[in-house]
Amino acid sequence: MTNLLPLIRNECLKIIKKKRFYVILLILLVLVPMFTYAQMRIAERSRDKFNSDWRLEVQQQITDNQNSLGSDRIPEEWKSYRRIFVQQLQYYLDHDVNPNEPSGVTFTREFLDNSVSLFIPLLIMAVASDLVSGERTTGTIKMLLTRPVKRWKVLFSKMTALMMFVSLIVLSAFIISYLVSGLAFGYKGFNVPVFTGFQLSGDTVDMTTVHAVPQWKYLLMQGGLIWFVSVVVALLAFMVSVLVRSTAASIVVMMAALIAGTILTNMASAWTAAKYLFMVNMELTGYLAGTPAPIEGMTLAFSMAVLAIWGLAAVIISFAVFTKRDILN
Amino acid sequence: MNDSKWTWRAVGLVSILATLLLITGFVYAVSDIINPKGETLLSSLPQETAAPTAAATDELKILALGDSLAKGTGDNSGQGFVKRTLEALSADGGKAELLGNMGINGLTTAGLQSKLQEEGVQYALRQANVILISIGGNDLFRGSDILGTGSSSGEAESSADTENPADGIAPLGTESAANNTVEGSAPVPTASTDELTPESLLSALPDASGRLGSILDTIAGINPQAQIYYVGLYNPFGDIADLLVPGNQAVTAWNNAAMDIINTHSNMTLVPTFDLFNRHLDKYLSNDHFHPNGDGYQRMSERIVQAVH
Repeated sequence: MTNLLPLIRNECLKIIKKKRFYVILLILLVLVPMFTYAQMRIAERSRDKFNSDWRLEVQQQITDNQNSLGSDRIPEEWKSYRRIFVQQLQYYLDHDVNPNEPSGVTFTREFLDNSVSLFIPLLIMAVASDLVSGERTTGTIKMLLTRPVKRWKVLFSKMTALMMFVSLIVLSAFIISYLVSGLAFGYKGFNVPVFTGFQLSGDTVDMTTVHAVPQWKYLLMQGGLIWFVSVVVALLAFMVSVLVRSTAASIVVMMAALIAGTILTNMASAWTAAKYLFMVNMELTGYLAGTPAPIEGMTLAFSMAVLAIWGLAAVIISFAVFTKRDILN
Repeated sequence: MNDSKWTWRAVGLVSILATLLLITGFVYAVSDIINPKGETLLSSLPQETAAPTAAATDELKILALGDSLAKGTGDNSGQGFVKRTLEALSADGGKAELLGNMGINGLTTAGLQSKLQEEGVQYALRQANVILISIGGNDLFRGSDILGTGSSSGEAESSADTENPADGIAPLGTESAANNTVEGSAPVPTASTDELTPESLLSALPDASGRLGSILDTIAGINPQAQIYYVGLYNPFGDIADLLVPGNQAVTAWNNAAMDIINTHSNMTLVPTFDLFNRHLDKYLSNDHFHPNGDGYQRMSERIVQAVH
């Protein structure tokens, strides 16, 4: 009975030796400074305009949004989104908390909120899409399977290694964006309060359950949710890489699914059955921030259940296919 | 081989720790979202400390408040009288800055009253020393939809025009729906006017002017130091023969009522605009036949500058 640990270790070393993880770190190190710089320019401009008085700025933001509510040319869904946004801004203002207090921590929070549905999954795919199909492309899969090791063990060790790297990728996204943006905005801001617990019902926001959490705790919670999404994406990409022969095809399939997801979230409110698709449910962090879900009736529990079912199905399919399939060529 | 042993140990350890950390966060997040606990909250705005900053500077800190005229609807350059006033004031070598423009399309006196309860608006008011207010047009002309939708897009307005070239009054009846979308502009009881009549124009007057009085009182209470400039109404329907006289009467009645209120306060000024537009509507109104165009706003701003200096 071969132990699983050496297998997992072997898979981990393979991922490291292939330098995929370094590529991911490099992408982060190149892109995060760009976003930081853009954010810095925005901050500079609003400082000029509002004399660095964030209260006036937020009040103006509220007024502008209220004005757009009056326009007949704006779709109803956007209006209800803005109505909710106005109420949240009002809440921040009423409690004298700057929702956009510029700091490295705030940048990290916002950056990750925006990257949960596309950017982080992309980084995950860089590792996951290659795990099985890569072995086929290079032909090393035969070597792997001719060893006296059960197939499910091979696949399980690959999956475990993948999970380890998912955690590492999520964590490094946080750390790199904090370290880089901190250069521009300062490294403070862990204790700034952030409000969470906005209960949305239709157009109105129920404020009774709103409470402030320190930003570090918010980041922790956000990280957990992003991790969950990433695990599901990793499992799906892994399944595709089992099913498809070439790495390129497996990346394309996953990319297409993810991009379809972002497009659907922007226009799916009429097609309610779309809420059972995994890619529409990826923005779990929105439930934390209180942004309205793309389709009515979606809640955190619902989205998590959908994601979990898709992830589970991916695991089952991966194992079923991998243990049965003939390896040709 | 030794090298890879250490790599493996490091990666293994760090990834396990990272996973544990993220799972903790996940558990926190799920329990926090599914069972959110409300809590009694922190402080409110620092009202007392904020007030003094407004006083005793030569710099003019301008804040605009009110309806679509304050916002500048109808001005193709988007400036409105607020930005134009600001430009003129800073061009004279004086220092002037705009703290904010809180104008909202379709705002009525009732809407402004509830806006004044908001912390953010009060805060902005305390920072200012010149407050420009335009309000009342929507109370008086509610029968006409144009102010209500206040659509800021030129195309929508001009297309409405081509449909109703004769009277220039945009479609009636959709007004209440449009107004309800603006937060705080609670519907005011109106004699549902299919047509503007002298009676309908005047019916809103007593209530609305009462609200105007309380608005001005509230603002003076929030910031006693600031100079307040109320922009008087003009009659946008002067080019419609049937509405010229009743419109003029109603607007004059309103302006008189406003003047009566304003005269009781030492730091308030009414800036008249009635004469600027009377008989020059084609020149100074925008395509919607209700809001001023750029030139109209320019004339209004010149008046305001004269009043400020």
